[in-house]
Amino acid sequence: MSELGLTLIFLAVLFFLLGSGIWVALSLTGVAAFGMLIFTPRPVGDAMATTMWAASSSWSLTALPLFIWMGEILFRTRLSENLFQGLTPWMQRLPGGLLHVNIAGSAIFAAISGSSAATVATVGKMSIPELRRRAYPERMIIGTLAGAGTLGLLIPPSITLIIYGVTVNESIVKLFIAGILPGICLALMFMGYVVLWSLFSGQRAEREARVYSLLEKLRAATQLLPVILLILAVMGSIYLGLATATEAAVLGVLGALLLSALQGSLTRDSFTASLLGATRTSAMIAFILAGSHFLSLAMGFTGLPRALATWIAALELSPFALIAALTVFYILLGCFLDGISAVVLTMAVIEPMVRAAGFDMIWFGIYLMIVVEMAQITPPIGFNLFVLQGMTGKDMGFIARAAVPFFLIMVLAVALLVLVPDVATWLPENMTTVRNAG
Amino acid sequence: MRLLAAADRLLDRFYLWCGYAAATLLLALALLIITSITSRLLGVYLPGLTEYAGYAMAGSSFLALAHTLRAGGHIRVGILLNAVGGRVRRGVQLWCLGMGTLLSVYVAWYLVRMTHVSWQLGDRSEGDDAILLWIPQTLPSFGAVVLAVCFFHSLVVFLAGREDPTEAPGSVAEGEP
Repeated sequence: MSELGLTLIFLAVLFFLLGSGIWVALSLTGVAAFGMLIFTPRPVGDAMATTMWAASSSWSLTALPLFIWMGEILFRTRLSENLFQGLTPWMQRLPGGLLHVNIAGSAIFAAISGSSAATVATVGKMSIPELRRRAYPERMIIGTLAGAGTLGLLIPPSITLIIYGVTVNESIVKLFIAGILPGICLALMFMGYVVLWSLFSGQRAEREARVYSLLEKLRAATQLLPVILLILAVMGSIYLGLATATEAAVLGVLGALLLSALQGSLTRDSFTASLLGATRTSAMIAFILAGSHFLSLAMGFTGLPRALATWIAALELSPFALIAALTVFYILLGCFLDGISAVVLTMAVIEPMVRAAGFDMIWFGIYLMIVVEMAQITPPIGFNLFVLQGMTGKDMGFIARAAVPFFLIMVLAVALLVLVPDVATWLPENMTTVRNAG
Repeated sequence: MRLLAAADRLLDRFYLWCGYAAATLLLALALLIITSITSRLLGVYLPGLTEYAGYAMAGSSFLALAHTLRAGGHIRVGILLNAVGGRVRRGVQLWCLGMGTLLSVYVAWYLVRMTHVSWQLGDRSEGDDAILLWIPQTLPSFGAVVLAVCFFHSLVVFLAGREDPTEAPGSVAEGEP
């Protein structure tokens, strides 16, 4: 049978396994084994075992379980109240009022957590009932949370960025640093939209009549202090070259435990629950990564990535057209796959193509985070939508519609990132060099 | 039948113990990194810490696989499972559990084989630790075997007419970290 025919069968098997509900890690493993069987005479199982072992015991991955654990600890503290009470006096006078708390709170929490679902859950836990009580429109409460929650993927530390870095073998430290400015920009764009909405809709949400004095504002800000110290310790130590990503993650875990202890939320039970929760999430991700490394190996034998790279090169698309096509592709893919699976699955195929097209891989990582974030808020599969459905009890259609403006803002953010790539690349190019960057 | 029911309960508890063992390894990973930071601050060089950290992570990840499966923690695409009901749904679940058993047995078989070969050849790590590789490879291999057992166990329980035990409430299409 022709090469093309075999390739088509290979892709059909992949989508059939994934689509029929086989666990993602096992789908990747299964299709990789199948691909190696039909494309090479090499022993398949032994290659799989050594690849999986190498993938799951690699040093660069060790930051991942630690950052996940840090998030699990903080999720079990009173951080959500602290964020809300600390930000309220500062935000309530802005047009759009406390809706900005959702966005700023998400941006701050994203800087200590690597996951967008955890960001939505933590910020929303406190702000949904409070904003409802003040009669803000439900559509905006949900929309701001859905949109800003995705900042968890972009603002470091980010679990998905670690996975991208490990998959394409780029420095996780540089990727983290590269995510900072685009993350802040995106948060500001979200806030800008809320301001415009408030000015033009005429639908002024009921604001608290109360005016806070400067002293009260400052006192409220002290609630944010522990979190900000934690962010500075983790990201500062990375940026100044004092710590690798893994070491910074351990500092983060220690800081989170300290914060939790000071607030009195550190009990034997909460400690065990956070550790066990982190263990499960890390195991799930490590298994997917093991499968995806095996798939990358098998893909190499199929010749598919090379053929695709040659084909795309022959089309002589402008970088802009290529990025536009990839964006559409990822949004479609994001309707069915979660962010992590989308990243590992596609990078096995398109990494050679992206490199051949001459993109900076750090920049591409940041681009990928934004498009994957968009996938988190597109139905029918969007994890942030699921989380919000659980928290608000609204139906999926309503939540998805509420998220639409924020989705469009992210499209705008992608365009900005393409036009001004420096937003992502300037900071990492000007940071202190790190020992064994990894 | 009584014996089978007892085995069922024992296995359930066993997966949880493996989960606790995995959590302990994650704690060990954190302690290894802390040791590495402190030793560097003190100006002492302890060889092989990064390798040990990698082994702890590999062991932790694989040991927790079965427990994670039972907690509904592994990501899957839930569109089909959410769309169908009744007998069709049970058919899809059967297909998933069957394939899951097949693939997990495949993974377990070759990981055990790799460990066995490392042991026979006396392979050593290329890192600073120069440890005999079969020692750290044992934990992931064991974890993969436990996962295979867990899949087969779930398949048997499902065929006996119970609900799919890998579907903890709301597990389909959940699990984004």
